[in-house]
Amino acid sequence: MNQRTIVVHRDVQADQKADAAAERERLGRRGTLVVNLLSSPGAGKTTLLEATARHFAGRRSMAVLVGDLETDRDAQRLAPLVPVAQLTTGGACHLELPLVQRGLKALGDPAVDFLFIENVGNLVCPASHDLAEHLRVVLISTTEGDDKPGKYPKMFRTSQAMVITKLDLLPHVPFSIEAVTEDAHRIQPQLKVLTNCALDGSRMASWCDFLEQQHQQQLATYHEPASNR
Amino acid sequence: MHERSLIQSLLRQVEQIVAAEGGGQVAEIRVQVGDLSGVEPLLFQMAFDDMVTAVFSSECQLVLEMVPVTAVCSDCEHQFEIVDFQFRCPACQTGSVQVIQGDKVKLISVTINSNHSIEGVAS
Repeated sequence: MNQRTIVVHRDVQADQKADAAAERERLGRRGTLVVNLLSSPGAGKTTLLEATARHFAGRRSMAVLVGDLETDRDAQRLAPLVPVAQLTTGGACHLELPLVQRGLKALGDPAVDFLFIENVGNLVCPASHDLAEHLRVVLISTTEGDDKPGKYPKMFRTSQAMVITKLDLLPHVPFSIEAVTEDAHRIQPQLKVLTNCALDGSRMASWCDFLEQQHQQQLATYHEPASNR
Repeated sequence: MHERSLIQSLLRQVEQIVAAEGGGQVAEIRVQVGDLSGVEPLLFQMAFDDMVTAVFSSECQLVLEMVPVTAVCSDCEHQFEIVDFQFRCPACQTGSVQVIQGDKVKLISVTINSNHSIEGVAS
């Protein structure tokens, strides 16, 4: 009997990360900024997307892939506003790239300005899966409590922006914008923090301006000479 | 429960390695789990025990090594261990730090038993 040990030292997710990088480049080159929206259930991802679609109507094109364990309720809400495909995970706690690619194909792979992926409501597992996004945004609502970043550090560490939602409820709940920002910045000092109340449509301009700016900045890198990258 | 999908990727990689090595029985799979990998080691082990027999013998052992998070400061190049998820350089206080270790699940090595002798490999 021979026993031998093969030394590997390879990321278990290396193949998935390479596939995601290739898809990100393909979509980026043709002018689509991919935005992965993450939060716990009920933080307001669908409501933010409805308000975003109304704000961008006639000016910017967008499509949405929406992930849920079951039902197409979120897709039904968004369908009157934008092209949308529901990704039903059948109980799985997060989305993975093949599901996203299938959804994109179902929509006819539209060359939109923004492709939003509304992830499954969960602050844990989706943090570990690259869906070819250029921008990862975590939402936290004022009703959830301002102690969440420290409890779910990977989610906040891997995000580029945090949107504090349901600002209209702030006078009624024990939630401090300063405390949540400080906790999040301890984990990710570069995190961009935005406040929002999508239900009444206020503060949508700052969110949409941020998206426009990210679209311009992030996609510009694909058109620079390779030596500058 | 995304540990199951990671075990699936792990087993697929090990299968490819075993095939490239000419087959054999997998005795041990050694894996490093970073503290910022998002993986709970107990759940990872349970998912492995549950799924390994579909591919390899139940004799196949999973050995997990936990790896602390290490970062390097982009400004002063100080290298340090992240404690309590504080991503700030203790030397110059900047928040511009890059994680260089501890954010992944890595396949370190695969130990294979085989009946045929292989020249040049110590048995």
